[in-house]
Amino acid sequence: MSASPRRRARSAIGEPAPVRVVLIVLTIAFLTAFLVLPLVLMFSQALAGGVAAYLAAIGDRDTLAAIRLTLVAAAIAVPLNAVFGVAAAWAIAKFDFRGKNLLITLIDLPFSVSPVIAGLVFILLFGAHGWFGAWLSAHDVRIVFALPGIVLATIFVTFPFVARELIPLMQAQGSSEEEAALTLGAGGWKLFWHVTLPNVRWGLLYGILLCNARAMGEFGAVSVVSGHIRGLTNTMPLHVEVLYNDYQFAAAFAVASLLALLALVTLGLKSLLEWRHGDELAALRGR
Amino acid sequence: MKITIRDVGKDYGPVHALDAVDLDVASGELLALLGPSGSGKTTLLRAIAGLEPIDRGRIAFGDLDATALSVQERRAGFVFQHYALFKHMSVLDNVTFGLRMRPRAQRPAREAIRRRGLELLSLVQLGGLEARYPNQLSGGQRQRVALARALAIEPRVLLLDEPFGALDAKVRKELRGWLKALHRELGYTTVFVTHDQDEALELADRVVVMNGGRIEQVDTPDAIVQRPASDFVADFIDARDAARGPEPLRVASSL
Amino acid sequence: MTSRLAGLVLAFAAGFAAIGTASGAEVSLFNVSYDPTRELYQDINTQFAAYWKSRTGDTVTIRQSHGGSSKQARAIIDGLEADVATLGIASDIDALHEHGDLLPADWQSRLPGDSTPYVSTVVLLVRTGNPKAIRDWNDLVRPGVSVITPNPKTSAGARWNVLAAYAYALKHNGGDETRAQDFLRALFKNVPVLDTGARGSTITFAQRGLGDVLIAWENEAHLVLKEFGAGRFDIVVPPTSILAQPPVAVVDRYARKHGTEALAEAYLRYLYTPEAQETIARHYYRPLDPAVAARHQDRFPKLDLVTIEAFGGWKSAQARFFGEGGVFDQVVGAR
Repeated sequence: MSASPRRRARSAIGEPAPVRVVLIVLTIAFLTAFLVLPLVLMFSQALAGGVAAYLAAIGDRDTLAAIRLTLVAAAIAVPLNAVFGVAAAWAIAKFDFRGKNLLITLIDLPFSVSPVIAGLVFILLFGAHGWFGAWLSAHDVRIVFALPGIVLATIFVTFPFVARELIPLMQAQGSSEEEAALTLGAGGWKLFWHVTLPNVRWGLLYGILLCNARAMGEFGAVSVVSGHIRGLTNTMPLHVEVLYNDYQFAAAFAVASLLALLALVTLGLKSLLEWRHGDELAALRGR
Repeated sequence: MKITIRDVGKDYGPVHALDAVDLDVASGELLALLGPSGSGKTTLLRAIAGLEPIDRGRIAFGDLDATALSVQERRAGFVFQHYALFKHMSVLDNVTFGLRMRPRAQRPAREAIRRRGLELLSLVQLGGLEARYPNQLSGGQRQRVALARALAIEPRVLLLDEPFGALDAKVRKELRGWLKALHRELGYTTVFVTHDQDEALELADRVVVMNGGRIEQVDTPDAIVQRPASDFVADFIDARDAARGPEPLRVASSL
Repeated sequence: MTSRLAGLVLAFAAGFAAIGTASGAEVSLFNVSYDPTRELYQDINTQFAAYWKSRTGDTVTIRQSHGGSSKQARAIIDGLEADVATLGIASDIDALHEHGDLLPADWQSRLPGDSTPYVSTVVLLVRTGNPKAIRDWNDLVRPGVSVITPNPKTSAGARWNVLAAYAYALKHNGGDETRAQDFLRALFKNVPVLDTGARGSTITFAQRGLGDVLIAWENEAHLVLKEFGAGRFDIVVPPTSILAQPPVAVVDRYARKHGTEALAEAYLRYLYTPEAQETIARHYYRPLDPAVAARHQDRFPKLDLVTIEAFGGWKSAQARFFGEGGVFDQVVGAR
């Protein structure tokens, strides 16, 4: 019923056919040049030495270590950020308190701070000459140039993703369903588990997807705190750089293609979510 | 169960949202809270449910002092203006939510919960729609799901916020009659909020007219119309007649 | 839920365990080095592990980290716990003493040859057949010749490059500093892109195909011939260049902490053995050992090499050429 007026409205603002064709062709040409072509190039480079060489490159000891490190870092950072994001969004969307706007700004900080600066901050805190450097050194705890530093840097650059998806969603939904649940006898954890969380589950999943993609793909901040120890503190993106600089181009592109596949899967899941749960996610797009 | 409200006050900054409100709702009564927006009627309803904390006074259900009880502990069935149905749950899951959320010791068996839910749905004439989701229902149907959901917890009292506010005129008329009949059948002490004079006068046993956080008059519909206690009540009730009065004339003049 | 949590904790623990030092006969050593030595130390490490096993019975795992020399020094100061530092310029190891007190000031006198087990020089790499007919440094300032070299602010190799060019200009202008600076200015006018590291520039030139000539470490130039196959590039050895001296040192503070002092020193001393010197020569670094050098003399053409001493040592050269507002800034600023 609503479709026909909308279609009419669209054609009413529509441009003449030639303009439309030019715009579409331009868009496709642009996407081809900047997205499709590089992807095709990358996969063809990765497979330049044949499938066996591709698999060998991925099966290399240092590459496997990089994949493992990336997965471990994401496995720690993403759940933590999911919990943090839900908590922060809940606090911001459902309660009024002093400093709320400051909190929202702070959550956005990693979006506006260069990742390199973020990495340097951790060096300043935990490096040998950082605030906690002497204490850490005395207790033989390693943060920077080791797994904890990489995890910290990853958490830092990815923590806004879940919170940013959930805040507008929870604000748009208001608290009437929670109030209803309260009058029906559900409080606290039950209320959260049965009402609040299911209401934002697709938004949450969406945020987690984006968070994960960034966590696995982060280069700048992690590069600063990694120390680039081969087979130990190189994540996948860092390992791509190492391989490339070692003249192992096919191997570099092979590992890069894994990251690209991850991105494509993320994109696919994201589109699926938008297609299946568009109404709920519309609140996000509107922000 | 009767509701006793004594000297209840609630402030929003310098504004008295509720100011020394005294009210007794008899057991089994159907009471309307009537007033313009900002008169404090919804605040009072939410205060009874515990959704709005009060600054002064006491609220009791029967002999139970509810003032310090949490929303959950008050067990007041509440129907929200826009129903606040759980979008991600089926109609049946919505209705049985209160039962399912009870602590394990007080929770009926699964099958009993389901049976109770289906009974309630047929009571509100929605038998057969238990597997639907809220967005697949009409406004009137949603309203009745919300009511069944509130009834499921065997509430001490039933509170309805603008129960017909979001419905079109025709459905509203139908539902009014139905609600009155249901109230008679079940006998819950019921308080509903409305800004519509007709609705209040037609449905309620007694009407509470509110203004500026205070009660202007509590009386039967006839008494309100015939003996308004203040100019405000007279004007507010007259406004209805004024709105309705000229109608036949206009029809006449067009002939 | 709980099992997933346990999995996470395990993953965390495993990560930590991997970082902790191994016990028993498993020992590990961490070598933080500069950009072009990746392939050299891969071979040296394998050799040393066998050597160490035969001598002590211990299995040694050597970790490597590579990057721009100054950047690596900075990371070591910040807590990248290198047992040994094998960097591109003495001043980068001096920094470890000055800013971190990680080793004594006299570190350079602790090992033979000023702690420099191998030296190198700077050569020119051109496309096969040398289409732009480049023979010497003055060919780089000709209009229409595109030169690739990294940024001296971040790359040790680039600093050697600049000084080599400058030394040439001084020599051919009777020591006139102004004209030498003009020479540098003209040279950098021909540089289309400044990568941050030597390896980045190599890839810009060899893989991406930019430029007519790459100013490169001698060993890096030979590595390109090997990696990209013969017949694509030629090495042009200019008559004069600079003696590049990349030193090595035990980072005492960290080695002491790890209990690897003896191992670290043995590792660096091993670099001076004929066996290691052979490997060094094979990777086109000029060996310190005269016997090994003699065996490989056909690999290392003779050329007139100025040393850093001609510039008053690294401390003074660093400040004068590459410090804030130094010669390089003036030259590039006037581009």
